[in-house]
Amino acid sequence: MKIKIRTNLVTGILMALFSGYMLYVMPKQVKVPAYDSGAPSPRIIPGICLGVILLCSIVLIIQSLVFKKEKIVVFDWNNEKPAILLIALLCLYVFLIIKIGFILASAIVFVAVLFYEGERKPFIYIFTIALAVGIYFLFTLVFHVSLPAGPFFGG
Amino acid sequence: MDFTMIAQAAAQTFTIYNIALIFGGLLIGMVIGCIPGLSVTLGIILMLPLTYNMSDAASAIILMLAVYVGGMYGGSISAITLNTPGTNSAIATTFDGYPLARKGKVKKALDVSLFASTFGGLFSALLLLLCAQIITKLVSNFTSVEYFALGVMGISLIAGVSGESLPKALISGMLGLLMACVGKDSVTGVSRYAFGSNVLRYGINILPAMIALIALMQVVDKLREFKLSGGKIKDANKIDDDGLNRNETRRILPACFKSSAIASILGAMPGVGGGVAQFMCYNEVRRSSKHPEEFGKGCLEGIAAAESSNNAVVGSAMIPLLTLGIPGDGVTALLLGAFMLHGITPGPTMFTKQGVMAYTIILGCLVANIFLYPIGKALTRAVAKVIQVRYTYLACAIIMFCFAGAFAASGHYKELILTAAILILSYVLTLLDVDNTPLLLGMILEPIMEKYFVSASMAYDRDYSIFVRRPISLVILIITVVMVASMMRVNRRVNALNAEQEAVMAAEHEAEEKNEAAMLSVLQAEAATEESISSSYAGAVLEQEHVKKKPKDAE
Repeated sequence: MKIKIRTNLVTGILMALFSGYMLYVMPKQVKVPAYDSGAPSPRIIPGICLGVILLCSIVLIIQSLVFKKEKIVVFDWNNEKPAILLIALLCLYVFLIIKIGFILASAIVFVAVLFYEGERKPFIYIFTIALAVGIYFLFTLVFHVSLPAGPFFGG
Repeated sequence: MDFTMIAQAAAQTFTIYNIALIFGGLLIGMVIGCIPGLSVTLGIILMLPLTYNMSDAASAIILMLAVYVGGMYGGSISAITLNTPGTNSAIATTFDGYPLARKGKVKKALDVSLFASTFGGLFSALLLLLCAQIITKLVSNFTSVEYFALGVMGISLIAGVSGESLPKALISGMLGLLMACVGKDSVTGVSRYAFGSNVLRYGINILPAMIALIALMQVVDKLREFKLSGGKIKDANKIDDDGLNRNETRRILPACFKSSAIASILGAMPGVGGGVAQFMCYNEVRRSSKHPEEFGKGCLEGIAAAESSNNAVVGSAMIPLLTLGIPGDGVTALLLGAFMLHGITPGPTMFTKQGVMAYTIILGCLVANIFLYPIGKALTRAVAKVIQVRYTYLACAIIMFCFAGAFAASGHYKELILTAAILILSYVLTLLDVDNTPLLLGMILEPIMEKYFVSASMAYDRDYSIFVRRPISLVILIITVVMVASMMRVNRRVNALNAEQEAVMAAEHEAEEKNEAAMLSVLQAEAATEESISSSYAGAVLEQEHVKKKPKDAE
């Protein structure tokens, strides 16, 4: 499956919608402070950023539709599938770290990653799990960052 | 030059601890730099969590600079042995490094690369030491108005030179600024775009963003490539024992000098990293060489030109970063992020308020370049073996380290969630052909820019026209517009030139390989005919003997 993405047009539309929405919710999301300390309004910098994004989005849409200036990126599912799957696995990794702790999450997710990558020799699996334990203790004992331990390790 | 400060800085630089950090940093840089697909930026990001607990910020920065210096040399190891540049800045090294390696002179190619890298690095580090004080004096009467204008300049220049489309790059940069605005405003205490979420309430830390945007994206890309190629690893050329001799060293010196000088000037300009400088230097050295026809066929000067240029960029890119607080490219943007994580704000005030630290960092850069030579001599052979390690071993380790490092930013789960979210954003942006670098720079520059914006507005009673009324600020803004326009044009031309150069070199290499293959087949054919002749001769002799024997038998 191959999809041609007209990146100028798509970026323009997406970013125009995004900046428009953010500008619309600004009064609710960025409140003006109750008393005046003499500081500039907290809305100025986000406002300028959103204004520039909106302006650039409009330029992109005009470039694409009026001047026919377009950069086409081909989305090839066969090429992108591994990347999307890996990113999904990393999101699962985050969920699992929070739920069951760093070591167990690493053991589950990286076994899946290695299997998906086509590794079949047992040594690499053992090595990776040992590494997870090593990194856990490196961070907790040496760097004094207590990584999530999970319910099984007293976390 | 302020010699008392330099003397104090020297005492701080030459501690056993710092020297050990430089050794370690150089080695890690070489290893990461030589693995194709992993860039120097990834090496620096991996160092960030390690430096969190360091009491001296200068040591942390020195470690990262050593990784940067080591990585720039490391890129050439795989360029020479595998014909695959370890980092983008080593593409031009493959032009001559690989042909020389194919002639069996791998050690010679590596030695030239190491010598040229050290030369270029030292050249620009000395330049940094000399220029820093002068530039700082020039900008010493800048106020917050001018600093804000400099911030605008930094972000516009990066937007102007990255990617093909200015609107897309600007969107990326503004998204970065906006992301850094999320959370509690430090001046008014007002919450901005938190959407009632606990994850966004305290803002988006730079560390998870850097990890997701650069490190994890690279690893995902590399794992995808591994999956698609079925995990095949190219055969690397074996390293022989015939190194660089004195005559050859003398011969490559002019190339090293010319290339270092050009790259130092280019590197100090925002937006020109080692990637761009290498081609211009290579072209110039080739043009002015007495034997331009030897380039691309394993010429020592060619390797020297490419390698001195990318290491010369390291020191000179630090000039605008340290003196003005403007990062020139992705790597220096990351270094700026690292500075801020350690509570240092680069710029002219750094030389007046934290002068010793500024000089300690500069001296650290110099020492790292000096040590690169012996460490490279001793360890290149061992480091080159890493290329043959299956990538899956490294990828899992890097990912674990990245997530643990992101968590270390505040010790809260939100960092992990943000890392995953920014990773998805980064992937979507890649699909839309939007470059990540301006976004990262925007995130890093926002706190500094907003600080100066607030103090300037408060000092001038919210008169925002002050940014165009103060002459220096106005000049900076005008220079910004002029430079963006001209840099975009120059960049387009340089990119076209680079593409042309790469295509020519690739064609030359292909033709040479075909020639070699043809020669080989001719030789094989000759050998085969010789063999058949000799075998038929042997057969004839045997037959004759047989015939001779027969009458005897008959007798």
